[in-house]
Amino acid sequence: MADTDRTLQSSLHLNIVKFFHENQASIDTPRGVSTWVREERAKVKKALEELVGMKILVAHRSTSTTGYSYTRNAKIISKIEKLLKKRRAA
Amino acid sequence: MEDIKTDKEYQKELFDRLKKSISLRKEEECFGVCLNSAIWWLVEQPYPKLSDMMKIISGTCPFLKGPGSVKKSGCVKLLWDIVKKCGRARTLIRFDCVEGLHGFVYPIFQGDKLYGYLGTCYTKKDVSPQVIDIFGAFTDAIVREVQKELELSKLYETIRPRAIALSTVHTVHRLIGSTLDMNELLPRVARLSLQIIRANRCSIKLVDSTKKLLLPKVTIDLREKKSKLKKVRIGNWSPGKAVKFGRPIRDKDHLATPLIDEDVIGVITLYDKVDKNPFTSFDQEIMATLSEQAVIAIKNAQLYKEQEKLTEGIIKSFATIGSTRAKGVYLPRASFLRIATLIGQKMKMSDRELKGIEYAILLHDAGQLVMPDNVLKKPAKLTGREYDLVKEHPVMGAEILKPMKSLKGIIPIILHHHENYDGSGYPKGLKKDQIPLGARIVAVVSAFEAMIARRPYRTARSMNVALAEMKTNSGTQFDPKVVQALLEVVSRQDIKTMLEKERYGGHR
Repeated sequence: MADTDRTLQSSLHLNIVKFFHENQASIDTPRGVSTWVREERAKVKKALEELVGMKILVAHRSTSTTGYSYTRNAKIISKIEKLLKKRRAA
Repeated sequence: MEDIKTDKEYQKELFDRLKKSISLRKEEECFGVCLNSAIWWLVEQPYPKLSDMMKIISGTCPFLKGPGSVKKSGCVKLLWDIVKKCGRARTLIRFDCVEGLHGFVYPIFQGDKLYGYLGTCYTKKDVSPQVIDIFGAFTDAIVREVQKELELSKLYETIRPRAIALSTVHTVHRLIGSTLDMNELLPRVARLSLQIIRANRCSIKLVDSTKKLLLPKVTIDLREKKSKLKKVRIGNWSPGKAVKFGRPIRDKDHLATPLIDEDVIGVITLYDKVDKNPFTSFDQEIMATLSEQAVIAIKNAQLYKEQEKLTEGIIKSFATIGSTRAKGVYLPRASFLRIATLIGQKMKMSDRELKGIEYAILLHDAGQLVMPDNVLKKPAKLTGREYDLVKEHPVMGAEILKPMKSLKGIIPIILHHHENYDGSGYPKGLKKDQIPLGARIVAVVSAFEAMIARRPYRTARSMNVALAEMKTNSGTQFDPKVVQALLEVVSRQDIKTMLEKERYGGHR
């Protein structure tokens, strides 16, 4: 989780995680996510893949695009909830 | 009741924003100088009670905070009457405050609706009609500005979740529309359904050909529970009922959504939401949209599969015609299609390319169909001119297959399957990587097949002899990597058994 904490120091990663935490039923492409977090698509795409590597997001890959959705792991979701609360309090 | 609640919420938000409004603070600063140290207050109710007025005013007014404040409550009563009067009159009302001081109350309206009041008291200067006009215009502008901000934020709150949901639907559409392989499509639809609805289990069943049963195609349980794939009779259980009646069946712990094209073709059933809440009408709506997209994708995949079967049938018929027409043309058996596919896999070819290899193995000698009989069936040695004619068969084969658009990918394989790795082949004399990989594979497989197959005019060579010859010609006639792959593939026990069964390599 220390890794997660470090990754979420980046405002882009934090905003993406916040978006998926608040919209847990969402599945979106890098283009869609870049609209919601108001960031460049290339940067968002890189961050999304890093979050997939950390198992915070799930990648649904197809030949034409990749959709990203939030993890289904209750432990990870609860840890993210705590982290986000801590960030809000700070 | 709902309206009252919404109205109250709106009023609260309006005043919260008004209190935080920089413009209102500036107005207070500005008019504070004009009016000389006024006390400002906001009444956040259209028709306040006297006790509420007491709380608001006594908290700010120095006069009321002073000694004998209990007796001074008449002052609040006076203010309370002015507030009511001002609300009815819809205009600013001036009044004389205590100790020769002044004050006024301004009602806050939105259209016809009164939301509260902005007031001052304890001002040392009386307010002139001109100042009243400016104050009224200024306050109205600030209230309008705050109202607009509030409307915009409400609009954002309403539109954003819908836009996110729409974007999700669009993404799902792209994800399920991008595959034509049913084995890939159905698990994908199930996983996406689980993600969107946040459920634990999803099962997809399709109607069988008798239209009496639902056949289980995929079940995914994210709790890692093992689920049995059960057939369901149409009309039984929720999935069966959803199909029978052509409408969703929703219960606390499951939601069955029919897949409807012209007819019902199947059902997606979700079980147990992650948050343990019951399935909602919103879930039902989302699944209805997803199932519409899934039906299109499933129909496309079915259509593609049918078309593929049709193409395969045509190719097999074509290859059979070729093999029955001429003595020298033989139809490779199943083992050679398997060997070619395994070599292709070793060379990291895609599923589509592997299919192409299979077709090319069957059709590589299609050009011999148009060879003159006297050349094709000649028992004696061919003359130079006749051999030149035979050498044209790859070009002829490519020409024959050209009109079949679905075989576009294998035409280069047919055209170049007689090229040699060192450039000594025909028709173009291509060498090494200039020769398409598929053609290099077909060259190796067809040569090996020709050596170990039994023919009426010669005996088959043994497997070892044939493999030794393949090795000898590796790097000259054949691509060494493909030959190496062949050696690995034919050393597999399952392939040896297949070859024996088909009586290759001299087996009887």
